[in-house]
Amino acid sequence: MLSPRWRKVVRDLWHNKARTMIVVLSIAVGVFAVGMIVSTQIVLSEDMALAYSTTNPASAYLYPDDFDDELVETVRHMDGVREAEGRVDWLTVRLKVGPDEWRDLAIDVIGDYDDMRLNSIAPVSGAWPPPKKGILIERQSLPLTNANVGDLIEIETSEGKIRQLRIAGLVHDMDNPPAPFVGHPFGYITFDTLEWLGYPRLYDELHILVSENETDQEHIRAIADQVEQKIKKSGRTVYWTWIPEPGEHPANEAVQPLLIILGVLGALSLLLSSFLVINTIAALMTQQIRQIGIMKTVGACTSQVMGIYLGAVLIFGLLSLVVAVPLGALAAYAMSGYLADLINFDLTGFRIPPQAIALEVAVGLIVPLLAALYPILAGARITVHEALNSYGLGKGLFGRSLIDRLVEEVTTAVRTLSRPMRISLRNTFRRKGRLTLTLFTLTLGGAIFIAILSVHASLLTTLDDALTYWNYEVEVNFSHSHRIAQIEREAMRIPGVAEAESWIGNTGRRHRPDGYEGPNIYILGAPADTNLIQPTLLEGRWLLPDDENAIVVNTEVIKEESDIEVGDDIVLEVEGREHTWRVVGIVQGIMTGRIAYANQPYLARVIRYVGRSSGVQIIAAPPEDVSRHDPTYQSELAKTIKAHFDSRGLQVRRTETTASIRETIEYQFGIIVIFLAIMAILIALVGGLGLMGTMSINVIERTREIGVMRAVGASDGSVVKVFIVEGIFIGVLSWLAGAVLALPIGKLLSDAVGAAFLEEPLNYTFSTKGTVLWLVIVVVLAALASILPAWNASRLSVREVLAYE
Amino acid sequence: MLVRWLGRDRAATAAANGRGPGSRERTPLGGPGAEGLPCLIDIRQVVKAYETAAGPFLALSGVDLQVNTGEFIAVVGKSGSGKSTLINMITGIDKPTSGEVLVGDTPVHTLSEGRTAVWRGRHIGVVFQFFQLLPTLTVIENVMLPMDFCNVHTMRERPERAMDLLDQVGIADHAHKLPSAVSGGEQQRAAIARALANDPPIIAADEPTGNLDSKTAESVFQLFEKLVDEGKTILIVTHDRDLVRRVTRTVTLADGEIVDEMVRERSKVPSLPASQENRHA
Repeated sequence: MLSPRWRKVVRDLWHNKARTMIVVLSIAVGVFAVGMIVSTQIVLSEDMALAYSTTNPASAYLYPDDFDDELVETVRHMDGVREAEGRVDWLTVRLKVGPDEWRDLAIDVIGDYDDMRLNSIAPVSGAWPPPKKGILIERQSLPLTNANVGDLIEIETSEGKIRQLRIAGLVHDMDNPPAPFVGHPFGYITFDTLEWLGYPRLYDELHILVSENETDQEHIRAIADQVEQKIKKSGRTVYWTWIPEPGEHPANEAVQPLLIILGVLGALSLLLSSFLVINTIAALMTQQIRQIGIMKTVGACTSQVMGIYLGAVLIFGLLSLVVAVPLGALAAYAMSGYLADLINFDLTGFRIPPQAIALEVAVGLIVPLLAALYPILAGARITVHEALNSYGLGKGLFGRSLIDRLVEEVTTAVRTLSRPMRISLRNTFRRKGRLTLTLFTLTLGGAIFIAILSVHASLLTTLDDALTYWNYEVEVNFSHSHRIAQIEREAMRIPGVAEAESWIGNTGRRHRPDGYEGPNIYILGAPADTNLIQPTLLEGRWLLPDDENAIVVNTEVIKEESDIEVGDDIVLEVEGREHTWRVVGIVQGIMTGRIAYANQPYLARVIRYVGRSSGVQIIAAPPEDVSRHDPTYQSELAKTIKAHFDSRGLQVRRTETTASIRETIEYQFGIIVIFLAIMAILIALVGGLGLMGTMSINVIERTREIGVMRAVGASDGSVVKVFIVEGIFIGVLSWLAGAVLALPIGKLLSDAVGAAFLEEPLNYTFSTKGTVLWLVIVVVLAALASILPAWNASRLSVREVLAYE
Repeated sequence: MLVRWLGRDRAATAAANGRGPGSRERTPLGGPGAEGLPCLIDIRQVVKAYETAAGPFLALSGVDLQVNTGEFIAVVGKSGSGKSTLINMITGIDKPTSGEVLVGDTPVHTLSEGRTAVWRGRHIGVVFQFFQLLPTLTVIENVMLPMDFCNVHTMRERPERAMDLLDQVGIADHAHKLPSAVSGGEQQRAAIARALANDPPIIAADEPTGNLDSKTAESVFQLFEKLVDEGKTILIVTHDRDLVRRVTRTVTLADGEIVDEMVRERSKVPSLPASQENRHA
């Protein structure tokens, strides 16, 4: 049987349902945010690692000249290599997805579908292995093919041959990136089909798995170097060796920073919710002062009183867990499922990780207790005399402090202010501690909200800047190289083309001073005076027409090769030959990858590709009423360009518009924005709850004053107005402070998001739209938070109100 | 136990009387221990000053008062005369600015707030004008609350003890109702039952009938008389002159000083018509 004091605790909670709900929700929002993110992190990390491990991922990927099974067999028998397997990775064809509409289709060729040893793909439905003239489609790619299993699809090979393949089934492949991320589908065929398409039975990608120390990247690098040497001895060039993070899904690199950023935002919402707890418990203690006095009169000591209220807080915490744990788990499952779907793997099923529950319980019980400790201590230590002499009218002194006097003077000076308006404004400053905490919560909430929307704006600005870098509309790749003069001449004949420029390029790797090789760097050879790319120069200078071995690197190169400075000579290996280059400048890299810019004529000599190119970049000349960036216009122009080149015997392998690049990048940014938006909503919810709690408490505390106001003639409307104006005033104050604070917070968050996903800070843009949106939200919330309790209070009779205890 | 608790040296109490610059000459009947009973409460030269926005306010200025076991004392005086402050000094609800308050052998003025609460819970029952029952506890739970806080009686005994007390004050039928569901008089009876929960030797009541109609006030007062008959020492602050006639001693305060004390034999006074009751001093 419960003792009377605990019955009091339970009944007080039940009796004040609205207050209990506000406190429980305040705690629950924070616990929910933390639980959701931690559960997502655990479920996603565990399931992603498990799913990825079932594919038997390779330790290293090597890209040499074409090879056959004999080389694979040789590598398999090398010391330190447990397994090796060849794949065809280079094949990209054009897939017809609509009348006169084509899209790239990346095709992998697997030698033996029933003996996949590394990076296995799994059958999902239909045939296995794919029959000759048949293709399996990656399960996430199917929507991008505009076809279904069993349908015939039409493809155009790089040689311009049109072929029809039947979609024989679906597969699941975790090795390739999800199709929506790259904007094109993936398919899988056999060597027989490859031959039928007109290509030789040769691999271009070698996967290896080391036999020991599988998680030691240095060991893997050493073995991969040995394999590379072996391949080179066979007379082949190895263009690139990629060693992924051992045992880690490639997407993990992007997922973890996202979850960390969300975790920080979750912790912030927990912090905000703990401020709400402080405010609400402080108000609860104020309301309970007389009862504390009575309990102390009948023998309760301070520790017993504290025990009662800490017990109440514990119950608040437990109730919040009841709400937050299942909701957090469901949200985590939904979030994990969404992410798993994006990354293209399957979760093992719904579960609540025990670590997440333990954290939620700790957070849900300890944080509120810590938050409530001070107000409870302050309330419980009040003397009986003070407790019994507190009364309902005029709680919260006003008029003594400097701020009060200032507010009084200002509200008096503005003669047009009505009396009720003056009451509202002065009332705002009566409970300064509560006002401070409410303002702090709302300000921080608002600042984070605006900061999140600023990250969104910054992402879009960064994207716009990136697209400014690409100062052209259509990129064309030919099946074969042609003379640059011919390409450019033909391009200029196409209606709607304002400018055309052919570039050349190749992949190189730096020979570092320590003897190791760096990662791949794309060496782009454009005319020194090109205006088709507009990189931002950070240091040194841009290329000059007379430059020979001068090179300009972007910041993404510097990230990997941090010792490089302007004026340094660096050695790059291109097609097996080493060349020394002098770094003359550093430019900003914007989602362009590692690029080194060289003067076209010199690079052409280096790579032995003089006067020829296999691509062209086109600047459009649209009609006056059409924007250069219009996706439909660009798409139509690309079709015209392809038709023209094809008709002139310059076989186009693929075209890409900057609008489609934008679409793909926007899709990737959209994912970040979705998660940030979830956090923004949570933060707004906490802020709204804070304001609602404060306004409810203010009304409850001033119920007797409402009686006095009504006794002297205030109408219901006047009473309600006094509180609404106060609520809106608090909201606007917090908005002002929040907008200012959002500037640095937004910059920090935008830098963090940029560093996590683009490996460089975003181009920071403060969101004025977000600022205005938060003002609207805060004013509406303030009005809603005030209107209900004030309306309820205004409906009480004067007699009831004056008797209110 | 009660005798031991009360067994302080009466000689010391007597010696303390009439000392100091603020001492006053007492009426012949007002001397301590005049009836040969042990001195239970000894207030010596108590001064209580408050700081107010308008400046310092002297609520009590050098008050001396001795109360013997079994006395039924009424403290009277105009508003602001210091009646409630004097009672608060005895209950430990408020502390003197200077002077001593001894209840039994406990120097209440020296106790910390926490120790005062525990001491008060066991030794003094307090009754308020506005009853002050906890609104979310039933009547019987309110009565059990002091036992709970002071850990008096076992968990099983407490409901029985509380019911006995409610029976004594005549509201056993309302035991399981919330305070808001019973009348003012019944709430005050419940408050008295709560004051008796830990069987304290002293009951201090601040205008216990001030918020009751005359008929209810009479029944509450009769309850106090019954408790005095049972050996309790009761101090009440009241404005009701008719009730004042029925106590054993009346202490009159004005401007923070005892200006008059009157001792009389206690006799039961029949109830007066309601129209003549509740005349305030």
